[in-house]
Amino acid sequence: MISRKRVVEAEIDQDQAAAVADETLHKRTREDLLISSAVAEETSVMEVDNSQVNGMQIDADGSKPDDIDEDLHSRQLAVYGRETMRRLFASNVLVSGLQGLGAEIAKNLVLAGVRSITLHDEGNVEMWDLSSNFFFSEEDIGKNKALACVLKLQELNNAVVVTTLTGNLSKEKLSSFQAVVFTDVSIEKALDYNDYCHNHQPPISFIKCEVRGLFGGVFCDFGPEFTVSDVDGEEPHTGIIASISNDNPAMVTCVEDERLEFQDGDLIVFSEVEGMTELNDGKPRKIKSARPYSFTLEEDTTNFGAYKKGGIVTQLKEPKILKFKPLKDALRDPGEFLLSDFSKFDRPPLLHLAFQALDRFRHEMGRFPLAGSEEDAQQMIAFAINLNESMGDQKLEEFDRKILRYFSYGSRATLNPMAAIFGGIVGQEVVKACSGKFHPLFQFFYFDSLESLPVEPLEPSYFKPLNHRYDAQISVFGSKLQKKLEDAKIFIVGSGALGCEFLKNLALMGVCCSPEGKLTITDDDVIEKSNLSRQFLFRDWNIGQAKSTVAATAASLINPKLHIEALQNRASPETENVFDDAFWESLDTVINALDNVTARMYIDGRCLYFQKPLLESGTLGAKCNTQMVIPHLTENYGASRDPPEKQAPMCTVHSFPHNIDHCLTWARSEFDGLLEKTPNEVNTFLSNPDVYASSMRNAGDAQARDLLERVLECLDKDRCESFQDCVSWARLRFEDYFSNRMKQLTFTFPEDAVTSSGAPFWSAPKRFPRPLLFSASDPSHIQFIMAASILRAETFAIPVPDWARYPKKIADAVNKVIVLEFQPKTDVNIVTDAKATSLSTASIDDSAVINDLITKLEECSKKLPTEFRMNPIQFEKDDDTNYHMDFIAGLANMRARNYSIPEVDKLKAKFIAGRIIPAIATSTAMATGFVCLELYKALSGGHTVEDYRNTFANLALPLFSIAEPVLPKTIKYRDMSWTVWDRWIIKGDFTLRQLLQWLRDKGLSAYSISSGTSLLYNSMFPRHKDRMDRKVVDLVKEVAKVEIPAYRRHIDVVVACEDEENGEDVDIPLVSIYFC
Amino acid sequence: MSSPSKRRDMDVMKLIMSDYSVETINDGLAEFNVEFHGPKESPYEGGVWKVRVELPDAYPYKSPSIGFLNKIFHPNVDELSGSICLDVINQSWSPMFDLLNIFEVFLPQLLLYPNPLDPLNGDAASLLLKDKIQYEKKVKEYCERYAKSKMENISDGSDEDISEDECNTGSDTDGIAGDADP
Repeated sequence: MISRKRVVEAEIDQDQAAAVADETLHKRTREDLLISSAVAEETSVMEVDNSQVNGMQIDADGSKPDDIDEDLHSRQLAVYGRETMRRLFASNVLVSGLQGLGAEIAKNLVLAGVRSITLHDEGNVEMWDLSSNFFFSEEDIGKNKALACVLKLQELNNAVVVTTLTGNLSKEKLSSFQAVVFTDVSIEKALDYNDYCHNHQPPISFIKCEVRGLFGGVFCDFGPEFTVSDVDGEEPHTGIIASISNDNPAMVTCVEDERLEFQDGDLIVFSEVEGMTELNDGKPRKIKSARPYSFTLEEDTTNFGAYKKGGIVTQLKEPKILKFKPLKDALRDPGEFLLSDFSKFDRPPLLHLAFQALDRFRHEMGRFPLAGSEEDAQQMIAFAINLNESMGDQKLEEFDRKILRYFSYGSRATLNPMAAIFGGIVGQEVVKACSGKFHPLFQFFYFDSLESLPVEPLEPSYFKPLNHRYDAQISVFGSKLQKKLEDAKIFIVGSGALGCEFLKNLALMGVCCSPEGKLTITDDDVIEKSNLSRQFLFRDWNIGQAKSTVAATAASLINPKLHIEALQNRASPETENVFDDAFWESLDTVINALDNVTARMYIDGRCLYFQKPLLESGTLGAKCNTQMVIPHLTENYGASRDPPEKQAPMCTVHSFPHNIDHCLTWARSEFDGLLEKTPNEVNTFLSNPDVYASSMRNAGDAQARDLLERVLECLDKDRCESFQDCVSWARLRFEDYFSNRMKQLTFTFPEDAVTSSGAPFWSAPKRFPRPLLFSASDPSHIQFIMAASILRAETFAIPVPDWARYPKKIADAVNKVIVLEFQPKTDVNIVTDAKATSLSTASIDDSAVINDLITKLEECSKKLPTEFRMNPIQFEKDDDTNYHMDFIAGLANMRARNYSIPEVDKLKAKFIAGRIIPAIATSTAMATGFVCLELYKALSGGHTVEDYRNTFANLALPLFSIAEPVLPKTIKYRDMSWTVWDRWIIKGDFTLRQLLQWLRDKGLSAYSISSGTSLLYNSMFPRHKDRMDRKVVDLVKEVAKVEIPAYRRHIDVVVACEDEENGEDVDIPLVSIYFC
Repeated sequence: MSSPSKRRDMDVMKLIMSDYSVETINDGLAEFNVEFHGPKESPYEGGVWKVRVELPDAYPYKSPSIGFLNKIFHPNVDELSGSICLDVINQSWSPMFDLLNIFEVFLPQLLLYPNPLDPLNGDAASLLLKDKIQYEKKVKEYCERYAKSKMENISDGSDEDISEDECNTGSDTDGIAGDADP
């Protein structure tokens, strides 16, 4: 049970609500706000160094520079940035209509953190509403809808003021809001409200949306002139200059390190250009002829200074002004519809008409069309024809009556997956309206998922309401599919953001909600604070508890009939005793709710093996994708892959960083080396010195030598016994990292070093480093010392004194440290003298050095207390008080300073070094909605691949790209053909020789047979010939060390073979040998 | 669309078919050693290195990890760890490449044309830039000391368990390795 630990105080009195809203009304006009903050944002970009380093100082003194709870909102901050979040926190939003759609929108906005949200609904909860609004339970029937939601919504985020309006909404009340959303309003009323909002000063952003059965639509009007500050949410692209011509137009080429991402017409600014310094004036310039590594400027540079070297170009993001049409004009002249599915390119105009016809029907008849009623459908079609006639030049030549009929049948129902999709879309549009971040939807969007209907014909009797919570869903899909949903056996892998949304969706849809049904959910993670801004089944009192258990309990509250089991096992080869064959075979469908590719690949492999449908999805910031993997119909998840993440070359990270990412990568690896690996190594040595020594002697290589040197250093020269020792260590690290190493590097490669061809060694993208001079009065130096010495103290279990947190005291302590003058090593240069023929000291045989080191180490350990151990520190990004990120940001920024690379603040450093995946509630909810529309198909059965849909969407643009899944690749060999879903089965306990013969009978010559990563047979390995008469199953057990559970009757091997006739490789299916 | 494990098998097979000595550990194919000879007409000629190959689960989509086990003096090879800084094996790896490409093309090219502009071993790079003759001298010294032919190179006990799994198709012609020594 979720405990109700806190008393939630939500205001539910409508007068009071209005009063609050009035108070919070912005006095400044919105344009003012947008323009002034846009300017502020630009300046802050320019002055990144100063302002953000200042920010760090304030941080360190314990007071936050602003009121954003960065622990709670870190994943969302990574998407929006601080400025957008601040604007969001200042916004008051109205959501009118609290069926499923209104609930989804309100949930997304409360999680995002607007200032206030006002729920408006004049109607009462009916049984019918329980299929889509997860805040309602059966006890709420008869209560006002807004009142029934308010407490549960408030629980999601105490920082948001949630109020209700249960009476008539006069349009004057709208003036209290920056954005208003109507989910269930007649066109007549909508026109009135919209007119008021459009002409209000400042304009009020107006959104109207509806979901009706498998159809949905949105309309946005953000006023006559709306400024978008960031049209796509992408980081500005940059390039490193290699040359600039003195020409008209001027040609700029960049280093072939990374492809440029500029497009013609983009605005850019130059910096750090040497020679042609006229370009460093900070003026935006427009580019033309953008190519992968070059572009031209519309500028005459003939008389400019000649380009010498250096220079960076940075894309400048231009604000965009949108002129929205009011609803009354847009209805008549809707303009371009945002298209989502190219196989339905002609559908948006039809749906535009259908929604108006439905509005007319409701207006005339005072009700919705009845499910399955041909008479009502005909009536609605008649309205549509009528409307079409009056459309003038927008008139449709012909339209599909079948689609209109289905629209009519299901129009009364709000389906949860549709509400989740449109709740995500509209939630994002509200964020755009309040912040100017991302491009708004301009202006109509329609979507339908008719393919979700069962393939067999639906009899009108199937739609009959049964007076239970699924009646709305039954009115669309019929009771037969409802039964299938309830009896389904589903496995959800992961209980994070996607998992929470899925649980809510499935509970509302009634999936796994009969005694026969069974939902298994697993996740090995526990709840953290940063989860709460989107994993909406969790509350702050759940922090530290198992995700799957808490989520399952919360889902059972949404629908008590949900038959769910929550496990804490990571889905991986190690848990195949839990998720065994019987478990997999019992499943109908698997839903991935994962956050990493490795686990996705593993589940994909399992689903492929057990022939189970896999519904896959993922999000990244405002983007999401869904992929359906259906046995024999589609390719599997692993069949297509994204290119692996770009990694900076080692030498770049090592000595030649040219951006902050390189510095952060280096900082991360130094953190691990100093604080985790070396202490671990020390402990390994101490726990068994003899074993350690002999293993090092055995290895006998340079790496072993390096490890020993580190361990010895840690226990001998650098051992800390007091906090002052730690400060000294930190100070000397500073000297080594940011002064000595730079001196050595520039000694080895002086600034004027040239290659054999005379080209400068230090040419772009390499940046010439300069050593830092330590100064106790530089706050960032002291910050570094503070973080480093506190962490060092932790590894030596030295208590951290209170004064360690005061920069002044740290400065005093650091001034006591004696730092020796550095002399660069010159052994490279002396090779020209007589000694050159003998190898220098650095290259003496490792084994001798290792022996020497071990002796010293043994000496040294005798002086240690017997129980002495170090405390290795594992990097934890999400704790703001543990100094981990302070240390990493310090390391990276000091290094950046060496190379004159712009520094970053701790938050930005955390995003990059902590590999924080940006995540928001809107795109997550939408992704699960799309998947659940597919779940209807997967569980209903009989659908062809043409009915399934994969989705890619980016709410920032916004963009929807929905298409049929890709077919599995078919391999043909002689008269056979197969796909990845097929398997060759051998009945009989074959020996290796028999297996080879069995393949030869098919004309195939096998040259390699393996199990997992182990080789059972390779035709080139002479000793494998001895295995010919062994049973394959025994080889699997012995060589691959596979444990075969007692119940399993087969093993699988991968065979690489070629066609005996032409010697070509034939990619044959997995071979399963049933040995008993 | 071959399964990753099959690509692994095929790639190893191709290496063996091209007369490379491949040393597996207990028949595992996730990591193994390959004998690599310094290219002709380079200061590395005559040197023989044991190169460790680690194939990640996602191979060939993810690049293999390649490292010299015995020492080599080269601007783009870390002297301590033996790791290589080479774009085709790291940043611009493509699943179209295979292990044979690495041993037939990428590594020989790296040894023939070291790139002192992106050094991992600063000393080697600096020496190459300043004094090519001394550089080549030092390369040869390293070869002499650390990369003599494999027969002599196998020394300590740690190799015992792996040598049994060695295989070399070319054993009948060049007779270097492949004899099991149980």
